[in-house]
Amino acid sequence: MNASLRTGLEATFKGVEVTGPRDGMMSVSAPSDSIPVVLGYLKDQGLDHLALVSCVDWIDQGKFEVIYLLTCYMRNDTDYSAEQRLHVLLRTEVPRESPSLRSVIEVFANAEPYEREIHELYGVHFEGHPRLIPLFLERHYEVPPFRKDFDTRAYVEQTFGSIPPVED
Amino acid sequence: MVSDIIQFVLSPLIALVTGVFLLGLSRKIIARIHRRYGPPIYQPVIDVLRLMTQRSVSHGAVFELGVVFALAGSFVTVLFIPLGGTELAGEAHPFAHGVLCPLSSAGGLLVVMYLMLYGPLGIALAAGESANPNASIGVSRKLLLALAYEVPFLLVILAVMSHYETISITEIVARQQESGWGVLSVPLSAAAAFLILPAMLGIRPFDVASAPQEIASGPLAEYGGTYLGLLAVQKALHLFVVIALFTDLFLGGGVNLATFLLKVMAVFVVAELISAVLPRVRIETAVKFCWKWPAALACLQMVVTTLSK
Amino acid sequence: MDRNQIGKWLRNPAKMANKYSLHAVYFCTGCGIIEIPPVITTRWDAERFGVLPVATPRQGNLFMITGYVSLKTLKAIIRTYEQMPDPKYTVGFGSCPINGGMYWDSYNTIKHLDRYIPVDGWIAGCMPRPEAVFVGVTHLWTLIDKGKADGYLRYRKNYAAYRRNQEMLFGELDWSPLYPVGDEAEEAKR
Repeated sequence: MNASLRTGLEATFKGVEVTGPRDGMMSVSAPSDSIPVVLGYLKDQGLDHLALVSCVDWIDQGKFEVIYLLTCYMRNDTDYSAEQRLHVLLRTEVPRESPSLRSVIEVFANAEPYEREIHELYGVHFEGHPRLIPLFLERHYEVPPFRKDFDTRAYVEQTFGSIPPVED
Repeated sequence: MVSDIIQFVLSPLIALVTGVFLLGLSRKIIARIHRRYGPPIYQPVIDVLRLMTQRSVSHGAVFELGVVFALAGSFVTVLFIPLGGTELAGEAHPFAHGVLCPLSSAGGLLVVMYLMLYGPLGIALAAGESANPNASIGVSRKLLLALAYEVPFLLVILAVMSHYETISITEIVARQQESGWGVLSVPLSAAAAFLILPAMLGIRPFDVASAPQEIASGPLAEYGGTYLGLLAVQKALHLFVVIALFTDLFLGGGVNLATFLLKVMAVFVVAELISAVLPRVRIETAVKFCWKWPAALACLQMVVTTLSK
Repeated sequence: MDRNQIGKWLRNPAKMANKYSLHAVYFCTGCGIIEIPPVITTRWDAERFGVLPVATPRQGNLFMITGYVSLKTLKAIIRTYEQMPDPKYTVGFGSCPINGGMYWDSYNTIKHLDRYIPVDGWIAGCMPRPEAVFVGVTHLWTLIDKGKADGYLRYRKNYAAYRRNQEMLFGELDWSPLYPVGDEAEEAKR
């Protein structure tokens, strides 16, 4: 499946770069507006489990890199051969100022909490997401906390240090 | 007259003290089976005392009424159960005394059967008022469990009543003291009653109604402070009522109070030893079990009794 | 029990009963909760001390905050604490409630627990061993004896300050004040 997957991807989409497969991992880079289509294609090829949606803050290069980790559900022992034991990392880049992506909920419905988390912690906006409200955080943050220019110690000093003790 | 008043006062007092002692004993037994030391035996006294000094919130009048209902039901049921003593003339037992039962001539088994339901009904009535979904689930489980054990319980009582041809518990005790214990005369009924004893007491494997880990103590979820202290007292009284009834119907009561209390403690210890090592079963399993084997045994006993008369 | 103890029991049974029957609300706060099951099970038996876990706050009088307190958890802790009946005792367990512990520079955990709810005692450690829990419980007994474990009284007295701290952190709170604050307090006093 691996070899055919690689050739199929490169044939169907232009603008994708495929690295691997090596040690069971394959890395695919795609432009940010083609993500739902590429995901749909990979899902049809048998990679029907979206395990993780993650984000990396490359502050020096001024971009966020959103990564989708896809695997194949292990249906039974005989089917899960070495070829199918493949992890595909689908990467895409968005600029750091006003980052925005299309939501992939129509393709993988379980991407909903991951996208909420990335939105509240990095500030990436997902169009088409039905409920982009905070998942873990309770307060409002000027700079989303996982960005590399968020100063944790200053924030702690300002927020929690400003609350006076009730009695000595 | 004076002896009547003494009996009215003494009977619930003995029930309360013994019930609280049995609660503490149960925690000690379970602890020793777990190979640890456990709390002191008077720990329920400390718990109830502490609960009485706490001020908890009330959810309305019906909420408080349920506690009163349940406690009054258990309290009054004690008055109908003989607590040892013998009326047999010509017996030379050294420490015998007259039967200690304040309301012995007022309906016996039938009244006890009805009054024993006041506990679950009172709590079911009140816990719904607290608007906690855990309490609602606990109430439904408690009433289902009551339904589960009432069926074999009724059959057991029917068999016993038809064997001894009376509904008075003091009469049954007297007949057992002349001619042998109930376990020998109506053995299948005794076995059925012992099988449903954990369900009536609310101990494992049938403590599904007040499961702390699953439904946050079920109906007791919103009770705290004084209300919970009174409910703990009700639990102690209910415990005593059920085991005293079992002892009276199947183990011949007691020639005096001391023998009776020893028998009560023995029954409770055996039930607790079994309960300490069993897990909790689901409510469907509990209902299926209670309507299958104990009911079958009790029916069989009824058939045998009818045929032998 | 010797004569001294019996004398204490007869003079003030409420205080002694509160000491020896500390039912802990089984609120699993953070990573510290992993130390509580060994404490309450067979090997380090806490039931000897009268300490039992109970399922609801209405039935308990000991509240152990066992680990880091994120902001969401703090809302639940405050609501649970306000549901417990008086008298109640709070113990900060581990170093995170004391001063933030390992998460001292985290954007989402509170650093000092006693600015939001009153705390009677602390047990240091990350995590404290079960023996430390017992030392803490016996120390709480001596505090209750001397009358110094008065967290619930302090909460009532300084409720305006606690509520102001809570509102500074969360903005508008979903639950109404437990005791009257502000204008209603002035009305009530008059």
